Amino acid sequence: MAILNVNPTRMALLGLKKKIKSAKRGHKLLKDKQDGLMQKFMEVIREAKRIRLEVEEKLGGAFKNFIKAGSIMAEENIEGALLYSTAKTELEVQTKNVMSVRIPQFKLNTSGDVITYGYLDTSGELDMSLQSFQDVFPLLIQLAEIEKSAEALADELEKTRRRVNALEYRMIPDLEDTIKFIQMKLGEMERSAITNTMRVKAQIEAQLAEAVR
Amino acid sequence: MDKPHEKLLETMHQYKMAIIGPREIILGFKALGLEPVYMSDSKEVVEKLFSLKREKVEADGESKNKYAIIFILEELAQAITPDDYKKLSADPLPAIIPLPSHMGTTGYGLAKLKTIVEKAVGMDILN
Repeated sequence: MAILNVNPTRMALLGLKKKIKSAKRGHKLLKDKQDGLMQKFMEVIREAKRIRLEVEEKLGGAFKNFIKAGSIMAEENIEGALLYSTAKTELEVQTKNVMSVRIPQFKLNTSGDVITYGYLDTSGELDMSLQSFQDVFPLLIQLAEIEKSAEALADELEKTRRRVNALEYRMIPDLEDTIKFIQMKLGEMERSAITNTMRVKAQIEAQLAEAVR
Repeated sequence: MDKPHEKLLETMHQYKMAIIGPREIILGFKALGLEPVYMSDSKEVVEKLFSLKREKVEADGESKNKYAIIFILEELAQAITPDDYKKLSADPLPAIIPLPSHMGTTGYGLAKLKTIVEKAVGMDILN
């Protein structure tokens, strides 16, 4: 363990004692924060996995439908059909603060119709695929929200863990060692002062005895 | 449920969403109102992501990100290096979300979750 570079004086000792007190308090607070984050993270990550699996299952089907539609119809026709879609999506975003981590919350506003084309030039597959896209869409938004949250929480957790560890295994032991070092040093100085006075006293007494003789 | 340590911070803003992928696949999303970014080559994906992330719009006197969510097909997302990804995902917005394509999942999305868990906990505790 390292001893900090300080002068072994009573002043430094007092300063260090104050410092270790705040370090210990900071450590406790950070540890609590870490626990809180971890709790939230666990909630979020399980949900994230569930939603991702669901998305993977549903979206594959939707894409397949769409590809099928594309293979039946000419591409210009598809594009033409989609050109006049009146669907408008806007995303409302709120930021939530969980233990100083900023987590986005998405809210989807959709208006208008996706299917706004005549049925003459288009195939039924296109209708189906668009319908399935529309069905999975809210799920995608949910996935985005929850994965982003998990990511942000993981980032903060990592940072917090580092801070906790730095305090627990580096700063606090170092401070403790230094305090002990200063206390020993001060004790040593005290003892040496006592022996010194005792020696001087003995010398003076010896001189006095000589003079009397 | 109301939790005291979870606060709603900001007022709401309107954002847009984008999706990156090959033309013939993501065309359908255009109909839903997303902004399609056609790209079938994974080379320029990273640059495109950065430029999408940089795009801002002025609203109520302050500039904010234009896109809140950028979806990207897993095949293309694989080209993003971890370093770039870190930079891309540093801010609260936008969220960059890989999606499986018609070929089925490549496992990229779950692998991403796994790395997140490992980062947070120190080991993989999913499954």
